[in-house]
Amino acid sequence: MSTTEQEQKPEQAPEPSSEVLRADHLTKHFKIGGALSRLTLHAVDDVNLAIGQREIVALAGESGSGKSTIARLLARIYEPTSGAISYQGKPLTTIRSRRDRLRYSGQVPMVFQDPFASINPVFRVSHGVLRSLRLHRPELSASQRRDEAARVFEVVGLGAEMLERFPYELSGGQRQRVGFAQALVTKPKLILADEPVSMLDVSIRIGLLNLMAKLRDEEGVSILYITHDIASARYVADRLIVMYAGQIAESGPIETVLTDPRHPYTQLLLSAVPDPRAELSVAAETDRGEPPRVVDPTPGCRFRWRCPLAIEKCEQVTPALKELSADEVPLRHEVACHVAETGAEVRAFA
Amino acid sequence: MTLPVSLGQPASQPRRLPSSRALGRFWRAVRSNRKATTGTVLLVIFLLMALFPGVIAKDSPTLDAYLPKLGISSAHLLGTTAYGQDMWAQLVFGTRNVLVLAISIGLATTAIAVVIGVAAAYLGGAWDGVLGVLTDVLLVIPIFPMLIVIAAYLHDSGTLVLIVVITTVSWSYTARQLRSQALTLRNRDFLEAARVRGERKLYIILVEIIPTMTSLIVASFLTNALYAVFFSSSLQFIGLGDPNTVSWGTMLYWAQNNAALQTGQPMWVLAPGACIAALGAAFALLNYAFDEIGNPALRPVPKIRTKRDRTASA
Amino acid sequence: MTEPPVLEVSDLSVEYALDRGVIRAVDDVSFTVGRGEFLGIVGESGCGKSTLLFAIAQLLAPPARVADGAVRFKGENLVGLTDRELSVVRWRQLSVVMQSAMNALNPVKTIGAQFKDAMQAHGSKDKAEIAARSAEVLRMVGIDPVHLDSYPHQLSGGMRQRSMIAMAMLFTPELVIMDEPTSALDVVAQRSLMRQIKELQETYGFAVIFVTHDMSLISHFSDRLMVMYAGQVSELGTTRGVFDNPRHPYTSGLLEAFPSIRGPRVPLKGIPGSPPNLAQIPSGCRFHPRCPRRMDRCTEQEPALYDVSGSEVRCLLYDEESKRVPSGATAPLRRTEAQHEHD
Repeated sequence: MSTTEQEQKPEQAPEPSSEVLRADHLTKHFKIGGALSRLTLHAVDDVNLAIGQREIVALAGESGSGKSTIARLLARIYEPTSGAISYQGKPLTTIRSRRDRLRYSGQVPMVFQDPFASINPVFRVSHGVLRSLRLHRPELSASQRRDEAARVFEVVGLGAEMLERFPYELSGGQRQRVGFAQALVTKPKLILADEPVSMLDVSIRIGLLNLMAKLRDEEGVSILYITHDIASARYVADRLIVMYAGQIAESGPIETVLTDPRHPYTQLLLSAVPDPRAELSVAAETDRGEPPRVVDPTPGCRFRWRCPLAIEKCEQVTPALKELSADEVPLRHEVACHVAETGAEVRAFA
Repeated sequence: MTLPVSLGQPASQPRRLPSSRALGRFWRAVRSNRKATTGTVLLVIFLLMALFPGVIAKDSPTLDAYLPKLGISSAHLLGTTAYGQDMWAQLVFGTRNVLVLAISIGLATTAIAVVIGVAAAYLGGAWDGVLGVLTDVLLVIPIFPMLIVIAAYLHDSGTLVLIVVITTVSWSYTARQLRSQALTLRNRDFLEAARVRGERKLYIILVEIIPTMTSLIVASFLTNALYAVFFSSSLQFIGLGDPNTVSWGTMLYWAQNNAALQTGQPMWVLAPGACIAALGAAFALLNYAFDEIGNPALRPVPKIRTKRDRTASA
Repeated sequence: MTEPPVLEVSDLSVEYALDRGVIRAVDDVSFTVGRGEFLGIVGESGCGKSTLLFAIAQLLAPPARVADGAVRFKGENLVGLTDRELSVVRWRQLSVVMQSAMNALNPVKTIGAQFKDAMQAHGSKDKAEIAARSAEVLRMVGIDPVHLDSYPHQLSGGMRQRSMIAMAMLFTPELVIMDEPTSALDVVAQRSLMRQIKELQETYGFAVIFVTHDMSLISHFSDRLMVMYAGQVSELGTTRGVFDNPRHPYTSGLLEAFPSIRGPRVPLKGIPGSPPNLAQIPSGCRFHPRCPRRMDRCTEQEPALYDVSGSEVRCLLYDEESKRVPSGATAPLRRTEAQHEHD
């Protein structure tokens, strides 16, 4: 849990040293349809988030919520349509030269979802790690590179002897560890983990989640953990950001959000998580579980069609993220809901 | 749909050099697959004929000292041509020309197609557009008529010219194929991972994409070699190759000139024709074999007999 | 159960004939499914559950084949029947819902056209009847029949899966086999789909075999649960029985690998190691390399299925010899003494 405090009044700029990554009004639209169409898909709209040092932030949502797009925006695979991203206080737009870009990609690497597609099957598993070292730490000699690769493989729980294996010889869980090793070897500040355990067997997931916690605690790395599985988010994350249809619905310290969810969507999500130790909730008989595809949206809350508490304002004004308490950012609980911000008791889905 | 067999933790193998491991796997695959074995055997026979023609055929192919139009005998395994040359020698010595044409055209065509196809796919945008137009223009023009037109213009149509001409008209089809495959690979995570770690585009194309396309590239080489055999022999047959080269196609040319079939010299046509077919078949068989080796779902099913086993086909 | 079971699988084994030898993906599996019963089959990748499903539905393609055993559907053994003989049963009495609708649905045909194909393939000829039934099954799963004219890519993931289930319901079969139909869906859509399946089951009384890797999901819906490991049944019992009182160390390991969103946050361990390579099966009990309660003899002796208070468990902790011993912890010591007795 991040212990740094910071002032968050809108007029004041944040202290650069305590925040690792920050996004302000981040927006990404895609043109869809044929060449003649003017339809725009709003993948991400007006997202503000910040990730501090030594913390794991879970970004949760269904598919189509925009969470993967945010990861790719932060990794600079996509360019934002509008809004700004700052790394350690400096806007990403100032990072332009090849050298600066390289440095950024070393500091903010990405781990991918599919262990079977994220490693080149033709080379040994050491290939990615050694290439990263070549690119990002050119001062190392060849033998130093091998030593560093071995060290990082040990950290992620693979032995150094695994360096010589081919991907087809490794299980899914082991391949994901290789993915983490590739990210670690450049001494990153923040790892963008895009659903790293979704495609793994359940009994293997825990090992990877424990690895992520270890990386935060021992290596001092922050992780943006993108997932649709709230239970695993709870297991490993310090803060939780819930996304719906390209916008943030709710965010705050994980225990706070899980024990006191204020946004109706968060409540729906939590009620749907199967827990063998409890009875499955019978709420929302009519909810079909279909998140919208946001094409040329009108103003208003995007959850209103599924929300049993929607009021007139929800049809007209898009709710903004407002804090529910006066806490500092790491502890702050924020909600984007007209009903919730009035302070009224929100109990949409049991 | 692929079968749902997952074998869990794969067996660990002894650490050997990647080249010898691949060779060993290849050898086992060739031995176990009938198509591969046949194709390899045929190809090896032709290779030997090309490399050591003097050992196999004792006569010189161009020496016209013999009596013309002789039939098959122990002295002349296939008889002699209308010019008194030993046909068997011509056949054997001609193999080298055909193989040189086939292999070099195959390699050149595939190499150009790889560069253009993969670059178009990966670079996308304007590059794809320009390269695509170039490819499509050549793709649309029918190959054989174009070959005839070009070859007719070039008077010096030796082997090198044939290679250049056939390569020029052939690469576009393969380029399209490879572009398609590269497009499917383009969004694979490991390529995104390479991009995210900061690799340059050229590096990604050469080192990350192309090695994963080896099976399609090998298949393209075999297909192009196969077509090269037919195209080059056809050009030679209609006289657009250098008629003084010793080759199967030129044998057919001279046979045609001398109305071989009508004048009772069928061997002059049958022998080179059969060889062309056989070499083409060798490449084709190897192509099938590579497909089957690479994709187990295509393999012929061994008939396993048990008591009540009437294999229900799905 | 006084009624005969809808499905009876006895000693079923499935082999794959590969280059490097024969691999047994399913080894000696037996279970029954009663009328209207919901059986969940749970396991990780490589445990053989999907192969088992294909074998039951007679969908195995070479190099896979049924090596041994029988699959009796309402008394008749399906193994070895020709396609013609199977078509009487297929879809009319036994239907299958595949894992990924995008893979199973034809992308260039409308939903209605695919329903029509299925109905015509199994005997229906009347166009009006087909149209009416197609609309009816879509309504059954909560989809507006206007979507009969939609293509699969026009529907959302949840709707696609629902239309797969609707297709399986065309002839109101007695048994529906489902292979992880919810794995591509998000948690809210998943719950919605599962509820739908359960509702349909209760209304129409068909039995369900549901294969999944997600134990927590199935816990709320299945009557009985079968846990598979490395091609074998490792535990089989009532759902509540298995969850409240898991006997096999693998089952308890699996249950413990699910982090909870309620209750205290505790560090979990998962199960060390990975499922075995079926070409190199461990000696004795297949789970022994990963088992926290491994005894010496687990490396040599293959456990059979033992009956433990109504559940079947494939673990030496429950065989006769262990029963003579008060606790697993002292077993190795006593075993050595027993060994001396034999010498």
